[in-house]
Amino acid sequence: MLRFLIRRSLGAVVILVLISAITFFLFFALPADPARLACGKNCDPASLALINENLGLDKPIPVQYGEFMVGIVAGRDFPVGHCDAPCFGYSFVNQEPVWPTIVDRFPTTLSLALGAAVVFLAVGVGLGMIAAWRRGTWIDKLFSSLSLLGQSLQVYFVGVLCLAWFVSGLSIMEQPAYHPITENPARWFSGMLLPWLVLSLIFMANYSRMTRSQLVEQLHEDHVRTARAKGLSGRTVFFRYAWRGAIAPIVTIFGMDLGSLLGGAMITEYTFTLHGVGRLAVDSVRLTDLPMLMGVMLISSAAIVVFTIVVDALYAVIDPRVRLA
Amino acid sequence: MTVNRTSKVRTCAIALAAGALVLTACSEGGGSGSDRSTEPTMEAHGITLGSAADSTGPAKEVPGAKKGGTVRVLQRDAYEYLDPGQIYVTDELIMQTVYNRTLTNYQVDDKTGKTKLVGDLATDIGRSSDGGRTWTYTLKDGLKFEDGTPITSRDVRHSIERLYAKYQTNGPLYLQQWLSGEGQTFRKALPDGPYGGDHLPASVLDTPDDKTIVFHFDQPRAEVPFAVAMPNIGAVPPGKDKKEGYNKAPVASGPYKVADFKPGKGITFVRNEHWDPKTDPIRHQYVDRFEVSFGHQWMDSTRRLLADQGADKRAMTWNNAVDPAQISTVLKDKEAMARSLTRTQPYVDVVSINTSRVKNKKVREALAWAFPNGQYLQQYGGPKAGEIAGSLVGPTLKGHNRDFDPFQKRKYPGGNIKKAKELLKEAGKEGYRIVYAYGNDKPAQDASVVVVRALEAAGFTVEKKELDRGTYYTQIGKVNNTYDLYRSSWSADWPSGSTVVPPVYSGKNVHDSSPNYSHLNSPTINKEIERIERIEDLDKAAPEWVKLAERVLTEEIPQVPVFYNRLFTLWGSGIGGVKFHEPYGAVDPTAVFVR
Amino acid sequence: MVAGELVGRSPRQLMWRRFRRDRAGVVAALVVLFFFAVALLAPVISWLYGKDAYTTYGLDRPELLDPVSGYPMKPNGGIDGEFWFGIEPKLGRDVLMQLVYGIRTSLLIGLAATVLSTITGIVIGVAAGYLGGRTDYFLGRLIDLLLSFPQQLFFVAFMPVVTALFVSPEKETPTYLRVTALVLVLWLLGWMQLARLLRGQVLSLREREFIEAARVTGASPWRIIRRELLPNLGTPILVQSTLMLPMFVTAEAGLSFLGVGVVEPTPDWGRMFAKGAEFYEGDITYMFFPGVAMVVFVVAFNLLGDSVRDAMDPKTTR
Repeated sequence: MLRFLIRRSLGAVVILVLISAITFFLFFALPADPARLACGKNCDPASLALINENLGLDKPIPVQYGEFMVGIVAGRDFPVGHCDAPCFGYSFVNQEPVWPTIVDRFPTTLSLALGAAVVFLAVGVGLGMIAAWRRGTWIDKLFSSLSLLGQSLQVYFVGVLCLAWFVSGLSIMEQPAYHPITENPARWFSGMLLPWLVLSLIFMANYSRMTRSQLVEQLHEDHVRTARAKGLSGRTVFFRYAWRGAIAPIVTIFGMDLGSLLGGAMITEYTFTLHGVGRLAVDSVRLTDLPMLMGVMLISSAAIVVFTIVVDALYAVIDPRVRLA
Repeated sequence: MTVNRTSKVRTCAIALAAGALVLTACSEGGGSGSDRSTEPTMEAHGITLGSAADSTGPAKEVPGAKKGGTVRVLQRDAYEYLDPGQIYVTDELIMQTVYNRTLTNYQVDDKTGKTKLVGDLATDIGRSSDGGRTWTYTLKDGLKFEDGTPITSRDVRHSIERLYAKYQTNGPLYLQQWLSGEGQTFRKALPDGPYGGDHLPASVLDTPDDKTIVFHFDQPRAEVPFAVAMPNIGAVPPGKDKKEGYNKAPVASGPYKVADFKPGKGITFVRNEHWDPKTDPIRHQYVDRFEVSFGHQWMDSTRRLLADQGADKRAMTWNNAVDPAQISTVLKDKEAMARSLTRTQPYVDVVSINTSRVKNKKVREALAWAFPNGQYLQQYGGPKAGEIAGSLVGPTLKGHNRDFDPFQKRKYPGGNIKKAKELLKEAGKEGYRIVYAYGNDKPAQDASVVVVRALEAAGFTVEKKELDRGTYYTQIGKVNNTYDLYRSSWSADWPSGSTVVPPVYSGKNVHDSSPNYSHLNSPTINKEIERIERIEDLDKAAPEWVKLAERVLTEEIPQVPVFYNRLFTLWGSGIGGVKFHEPYGAVDPTAVFVR
Repeated sequence: MVAGELVGRSPRQLMWRRFRRDRAGVVAALVVLFFFAVALLAPVISWLYGKDAYTTYGLDRPELLDPVSGYPMKPNGGIDGEFWFGIEPKLGRDVLMQLVYGIRTSLLIGLAATVLSTITGIVIGVAAGYLGGRTDYFLGRLIDLLLSFPQQLFFVAFMPVVTALFVSPEKETPTYLRVTALVLVLWLLGWMQLARLLRGQVLSLREREFIEAARVTGASPWRIIRRELLPNLGTPILVQSTLMLPMFVTAEAGLSFLGVGVVEPTPDWGRMFAKGAEFYEGDITYMFFPGVAMVVFVVAFNLLGDSVRDAMDPKTTR
């Protein structure tokens, strides 16, 4: 297990370094002029040059990349100030190192992702189990249709519709917003409720479908048949035997979904005006805040890579048949 | 599992989908439906000069005002600069009024909304001698910084001398240039500012005692009282000035001080106990705290203020406008309208014609006739966001002539296409190729649609060029740019044509990143600018500037005026004392209180 | 058909018969066809309907839009006998035409990305599976790397880069280039799933007797891939690409929703959602038609994908 984790972690580091390199070099093909963003209304060429020099934009790009990578590990000094490790660069727009901003935005994204994940996992798997348990009945059919429909919905449509109905129209839900859970858990909950529900509506479809088909498949497997033949009750068979076999693939999908959600659900955050990491990325594109974008890109990739490893490890724990190769 | 079973499920799914459609179909349609809304009428007030008596504190009590409470301030853009020397954009201009005091300042009357220029740190708006070449200011008694140390003339001198240092790149330059030379040459008078122990000679900036500051100019400067109202002419304690570091920890002289600044996120102001209301004719200290948070798009702040729930009842915004998409919702809401204001801002939106490319005056005239001002303004929010402009200088400017509209923009909101077509034909330039550049934000993209349609109807061939929003002004600011037509907006720094006409239309200012985006360099206009700059009497100069701006438009057509900006904004029902700060075009926070 | 087949019906005919019996599948196929027809025949529809996607009717005829708010004067988004789906707030264009041409743009982009991704997926998947060894290892790592990219973020961040690579800063970004850039960005991160799937399939097929036999008889690798492998990969390729298309169309719409996709004045499906989100408080009707069309479109594709799978491989349990 340990060997597996070490090996995968090293692989992950290599992948992240590659991603950072690709991202860094591609971004500096952008015809952006970050110095101008640090200048003001009466900006003249002299001040522009001054700022340019101050921020080290005149060095060759490979040198800039080298400095960037060193900064992540050791921190670095900019003429405008010191940037502590992990230093993911300095945002000219915010006049601040990138890392604190991402750290600041992350709780929003985390709340959104975890809350939604709890809802869609519980509801999705629950519905799938009911459908498998009652397979062939009208309940099964209804749930199958619902999940098919759910899968076909888009946040940018359903999200806006829900805002129009439940927030502006009926006023039964609060305008989505992030309030720190540490300050006021009730407001945190009510502020995130609508985004959670909308995300869940879309995501849970996959889980109920998967749970159902896995369970149905498992019920035909030999070990389950044997259990039944031994005279165990249907309920015991269902929950003790069939269920265990169905968990592994669900965990896989869950890990991937959670990883990508933590990397920033841009459209969701944009629709509900939540200021998370995804929103930060979109805003950075608009403001051509390249250092910020680099940072978000790396953090998001890291989230995906880390969750892939976690899932693989979990997979092995759940399903001993999988070799940690 | 037969095909038939799954087929039924699918049929069911399709039925469900259809059901969902019916559900959405039930939603009520939009549109204001009944009455057509009418355009609001409003007047700009202009600014009068206050006497020494007007300059003495305390400020008149606001009826019904109470002490205490926290006000939340919802702002779209994050503040970049707290250092008063670096402040120039509207958001920050209005924000600094709560902690930063300057030699003179604007006093907005609570009832009439009229603005008066009065002494702030100084006892009056300044006394001139030597034919306007020398200006003397005396500091009031009892002025203190937030740490309790008294404010002296040395602190004022330091606030000015530090502007000569290289890192001070963003603030206004009027006073420095008048004292020490045009362009960037003034910096040579004091390289690196006062940090090495050097000072400007007494023949330029003199502080004979702790209370007196004397400016010596080489020519008459009538507008000094306004120039020293800019945020960078205040008081900065030399001992606390850590150059760039001062940007995050400015020392307050006003009724509030910075408690907590999180760049990109927000800032909190709390009471400054050492501020003495008896010295201040402008500001109050009603609320305990201002909690400013950034990142509230107009849509977000409008929704919160409109809903008026919970903590948002005690929320306001200093310059977020009502989102264009929600204007009709707000207009229908009588309760919300009672806590709103719509006022003219000092900005004028224009489209510049690149005169170094479009040299033919007839072609420029055709462009001016064809430009669809009304349709363009509609994309930015219609009459609540601005008023169709006929002149290059706005209604807040002294001497503005409301009837001046040479291209009949009010009569033809979609542009006078016929006239433009004729002119283009006369010039023999049918099919003339125009490169229209615009920033890649939503209203500008929508506006590009109507601009292209109108110009093409008038016989131009239009090529659109979308520019990055972040670098838009750099790109159109290059003298050798390859665009013909681009929008820009300019605001008078104080309500005089001298802060509009020379920077925007003087041939001296044709260089990169200059506000003279049309590259106009006309000998007659240049000569006129120099003549009017010498007029000592502000009341005489004002109409001359307006007339010159009109001449620029009719004789040279370097720009087409599009609309005069307006601010339509809301505040929470738990807040009182809200008024409009006309010179800055934002909501004045100085008299705000919690009900 | 392969020579020497004794049964009267070819597998393809069998499949077709099975598919035709699946009513929902047939309906879904018709709906999908309808969308393609709309996209293809947009100019004809415009001609019959008498409106186009560019004219700002609301601005040219002031009685249609409220002068202050810019919303349609008539209720329900200005739906009437003349404007069947209403008019767009502020710019006053015809919603039906916007939608029809928007579908055309988005489907074109989605289709192009699907074709490119499918071809790439086949080439790389088959190469990795068939050649094995170092090639397989290298391609596998490449797929891993690309799968680790945050997809949505990549789309958003690299759109401006890709456009900047092709357009000199002095020139207008032509619409076709913007579209090309979108296709490229979608394609770049769209082919890995299919490739990975096919690699697995090829790996298992490679060991089967009929491939072995072909190899023994001296068939060239190219012939083996073409004649023996590809026909056996038809099901996953068809099913995957059927699911890929709506994925790309919605991704493209998402990009335009975020403001980094197709720009004015080219009509675009996704941009209609961005506008809808802007206008929903005053005119929710505007959102209705593009939204419903999108749901129907995606549902139909998902149903069609399922039906195709069932028809081609009746053993699959659902």
